[in-house]
Amino acid sequence: MPTTKKKKTTNQASTVGNISVSVSDAFLLHFLSGLGLAVSFWIASNIYSINLISDPIQTLRLLCIIQIPISILLHSIFRHNPKQCSYWKAVVRGVVGLPVGAILMAFGAVVLGAPVGIQFMMKTLYWSFLMSAFTFVPAVCVYGSSWMDWQRLFAYTKPIGVLDYIICIPAHGTLIGAWLGAWPMPLDWERPWQEWPICVSYGAIVGYMVGMVVSMVFVLVLGRGQSHSKRE
Amino acid sequence: MSSSSSSSSLTCTKLTAWTLTAVFLQILGLSLFVFGFFPIKPTLSGVSGPESYQPPKCDSRQDHIHKTMLPSDQLRSLYKEISRIPSSFDRLILMVVDGLPAEFVLGKDDQPPLKARMEAMPYTQSLLSDGTAIGYHAKAAPPTVTMPRLKAMVSGAIGGFLDVAFNFNTQALLDDNLLGQLNSIGWKMVIHGDETWIKLFPGMFTRHDGVSSFFVKDTVEVDHNVSRHIEAELMDSNWDLLILHYLGLDHVGHIGGRNSVLMTPKLKEMDEVIKRIHLTISDDHHGQTLLVVVSDHGMTDSGNHGGSSYEETDSLALFIGLGYKAPDYASATCNAVFQVDIAATLALLFGVPIPKNNVGVVIAETFNSLTEDHQLRALELNSWQLLRLLRAQLPGLLCGASSCNEFNYARNLDISEFKGSVEEYLYCIFLKAASLHDYWRSMKGQSVRSNSSNDFHDTVAAYNKFLRTSSEWLSRTATNKPLGLLAFGVATMLISSVMFLSIQFWLNKEVHIRQRQYLPVSDKYSYNWHLDDSFVLLMILFLVFSMGSSSMVEEEQYTLHYMTCTFFLIFLRKSCQSLHGKQSPILFNSNKGRQFNYFRTFSIVLVLIFGRILRGWHQGGVNWVHFPDISKWLEKAGPHTTKSLQMVSGLLVIILSFFSLYMLRIKRMFLLVVQISLLVSGILVLLHIMSYQEQTLTGSSNSSNLVAQTIYTLLIITVMVVVLGSPWVMPVSSSTTYSSAEGPSVTSFLVDQDTWCPFLGLRASLYLIGWTYAVCWCLLQLLLQKPTNAMPTLLLLLQVLASMFYFSIGNPRHKQWVEVAALYFLGLAGHFSLGNTNTLATIDVAGAFIGISSHSTLFSGILMFIITYASPLLCLLSLTIYISMKDMNYLLASQNALFGHILQMMIGIPCVVPLSLNSVILTAFTIILLLMRNHLFVWSVFSPKYLYVCAATVSVYIGLSIVAATVTYTCVVFLFRQNMLNSTGNSSIIRT
Repeated sequence: MPTTKKKKTTNQASTVGNISVSVSDAFLLHFLSGLGLAVSFWIASNIYSINLISDPIQTLRLLCIIQIPISILLHSIFRHNPKQCSYWKAVVRGVVGLPVGAILMAFGAVVLGAPVGIQFMMKTLYWSFLMSAFTFVPAVCVYGSSWMDWQRLFAYTKPIGVLDYIICIPAHGTLIGAWLGAWPMPLDWERPWQEWPICVSYGAIVGYMVGMVVSMVFVLVLGRGQSHSKRE
Repeated sequence: MSSSSSSSSLTCTKLTAWTLTAVFLQILGLSLFVFGFFPIKPTLSGVSGPESYQPPKCDSRQDHIHKTMLPSDQLRSLYKEISRIPSSFDRLILMVVDGLPAEFVLGKDDQPPLKARMEAMPYTQSLLSDGTAIGYHAKAAPPTVTMPRLKAMVSGAIGGFLDVAFNFNTQALLDDNLLGQLNSIGWKMVIHGDETWIKLFPGMFTRHDGVSSFFVKDTVEVDHNVSRHIEAELMDSNWDLLILHYLGLDHVGHIGGRNSVLMTPKLKEMDEVIKRIHLTISDDHHGQTLLVVVSDHGMTDSGNHGGSSYEETDSLALFIGLGYKAPDYASATCNAVFQVDIAATLALLFGVPIPKNNVGVVIAETFNSLTEDHQLRALELNSWQLLRLLRAQLPGLLCGASSCNEFNYARNLDISEFKGSVEEYLYCIFLKAASLHDYWRSMKGQSVRSNSSNDFHDTVAAYNKFLRTSSEWLSRTATNKPLGLLAFGVATMLISSVMFLSIQFWLNKEVHIRQRQYLPVSDKYSYNWHLDDSFVLLMILFLVFSMGSSSMVEEEQYTLHYMTCTFFLIFLRKSCQSLHGKQSPILFNSNKGRQFNYFRTFSIVLVLIFGRILRGWHQGGVNWVHFPDISKWLEKAGPHTTKSLQMVSGLLVIILSFFSLYMLRIKRMFLLVVQISLLVSGILVLLHIMSYQEQTLTGSSNSSNLVAQTIYTLLIITVMVVVLGSPWVMPVSSSTTYSSAEGPSVTSFLVDQDTWCPFLGLRASLYLIGWTYAVCWCLLQLLLQKPTNAMPTLLLLLQVLASMFYFSIGNPRHKQWVEVAALYFLGLAGHFSLGNTNTLATIDVAGAFIGISSHSTLFSGILMFIITYASPLLCLLSLTIYISMKDMNYLLASQNALFGHILQMMIGIPCVVPLSLNSVILTAFTIILLLMRNHLFVWSVFSPKYLYVCAATVSVYIGLSIVAATVTYTCVVFLFRQNMLNSTGNSSIIRT
């Protein structure tokens, strides 16, 4: 497969040109994202005394307000090709990419059976923004519109290097978590959390956290491997 | 074939033999399981006679004392004498209102019915409030369809679940039943109404006017045909039993649901009938007449029935003129009994033995006008009958000298607290009742009034305890299952399932070997395990596990849609891999490939969007069925919107067929003929939609039948001509008359321009046949389906096409079996978007009588199957198009490939994949059903679903055998023609 081989080499070259991402950077990034989630849940329950089940729209909005800036600002630090692309350009990229990702997420959700209607519109909107912040925004901030990188991350799921893992695995975790989270929805348990998009949001958040943990594990393993290879 | 692959290959005959064996094993296992699982109720043969007025003995042989057949009048007086119950009635009018929920008359949960309902039946309500009538919620057992319910009412026995399958094939009721008993004492019987009665009791009625329940859309004539006889019959004196079976209300429900605008007039009409009858019989000179109004089953909110929800099982039993007045409205209406109780009650009221297999319990209030002695006698007779039935299943019941000492101390011992076998328990509670009865009898002479009344109530309570307990026990054991048979059936199905899977595994391996041989650069296609492959397995796993939960079965449409959509999202991801041509195919490298990749991605997006629209068309399921959906909106929007949508879909199907046939640029004349015939049938379908759909409310007219029949004939002829003719018409590959300029253009995208395809003619004719199948099937569905289902039919076709387009152009990106599996799942998901659910209630009965002039069980059954399995069969039939469009150059590259191998490669995977997927689902669900046999919902949720799974298996068999036969026939014809051509070519060469 000559083409892929070529691609691999270019990618490796490009990672060299990147802002190097150390294990501690990755840890900090994930830690801050997780902290953001924790803080927003804490604010929701202790200051506004709301939660996802009782007030899904408000809680999702709060989550978006806290999580979107964190995601954009943090990931823009690790932008690809930092010489040609300033930090603020990456931030702008993230801001522009956010609604695009939200549209894609909303499309996916509706196609998979999310209810359509005026009473669901706000819920779907905030949910898709949150999903976009977890999945789409990191990739946009880092890679911009480089189709090849997107393809590698999302169409092939073949992350190379620390940065790829940081972006790719939490995003996939979010998607898989949301997908699994939708399963209880049609059941007749008559629980309030079966409503769209509560359990899907829970699934996505749990998936995101699991994704971050897994990506940390990968990064640690990878980092050790790299240090080994450097020594050699 | 090189030796390396032929050694590992399985030949065509071997493949066929293995597949057929597996199919045969599956059918065998399935039928064994079905007959083992669905109860064939344990019955006593013979008819109750005079012996039923004597206590049962230990040995059943001692029972038969009178074997002489007495003439009917002597028998009548004999019964009268030995029953020791004076019969207070001479005649019975049984009025059956099909599908009337008891809620309409008696209200629900101790509340009176809605005001509108009460006003609809003023006379009946006045009877209830002054106590002349007593009404009961008579709980019907599922399946709530007419024939099993009628059987239950007259025989008191609970039928097997499979009775529903025979509902459209009524046969004479041979078991002991009320009508037979009444006939034996010389009653003259008259029936007006549903002809099911005449079929159940052939030759028993002196007069009858049967109406067929099959013209479901007629709500007026069916009832008029009954009511017109009432006047004359009421004047007449030469009948003892008059049955009036009104079907109109059920038809109203089928058309418009519970709250149909036609419902109130229909209830008024029924009330009018009750009034007429009651007024006549109350000042009767023919003797005492009892009027019993019953319904066979209820209906859901949408007017369907068949399942076991409260709405469907809530049937009515209304006794008018018992001679006993209910003290107040509540006691006249808030009573719950079982539907089977009607048989025992009527038998005792009219002085005939209770039917042998009755499990019902006499309704005590109906005897309140009799003396206490007679009331106890009735209970005693019922107990004896049940004891006889129990003795058949518990042989030692009456023989054991068991000690029932416990009962002397504990008054209300429950069966769970009793230490001992069931038979001892039942016998003890019977003995207790019997001894109380004896005591009461002995005390009667001594006239201690206050004590006597107390004793009487104790005795009644004891009898009722025995009757209820044994009745429940009997109904439960009606579902006893022969475990050995079931295990054998399941094992056979498991074996066949494993066989299918291994065949599929071999085939995949074979295809892989072939592709590696003929496609030099095929690493793209390598035997690696991809996400889409594993997702198919995951999907099957999820489906199987979700079927273990009753609410997941009820809401299966969500699961299937979710899984299928995810499947296509994975395809979307995969198609993104080839965007920008980064991984563009090397073999067929052309500019076209690049632009096709966008089309391919777009077609997947289309499939997804259409799928979502289809999901929104019918909410489906059980729990969320009331949520808004497109079909409800269309019904609200009125017939014009629906009709215009129907017209649009019809036109689009026709245009689509024209477009697709136009792509096939060879043999224009033949195609023109096909096109014209498709056009004509399409126009006829549109005509039928335009002019006849409204008439169906007033009954089907002759001309509408004629049009429908013409459409059927035309479609069948078109399909036959195309299937049989096109292989002979299409050019054979090596024909020299066939210039290469117009040659490789089956469609612009079908075949790569550069590749000379030797089997072009074969593929062209398969393409033509496949399209004819699909278009004819869609036209048929447009004719038969409910008006709101026209658009989903079109969307399904478009979905199939879009996915076909995605699969066939460009480089093969998925393994063939994954593609076939995707089509199969598309069909399954589409099944639910046509409004089907896993309850029997949603089967569209109304459509099954379009174009059928005389009642024919066979034809309406076939039409019903066609309507219900529209979507899976469409997908299976379109596999023909898939086979023709699939790029098979790799296997045709060697001109001298054996015929068997070509055939195997062409139809092997498309046939084996649906078979094996279906076999996995079938076997898994069989095991689940076996595990769930004691589940609360086994009869209401799992068994109907199982029937659906079985029918889906049949549809897979039918669809695949059509596909396989077509492809085989086409291949054989082409082979033959090629051989002919070669031999003539050779001879001409020799001659020159």
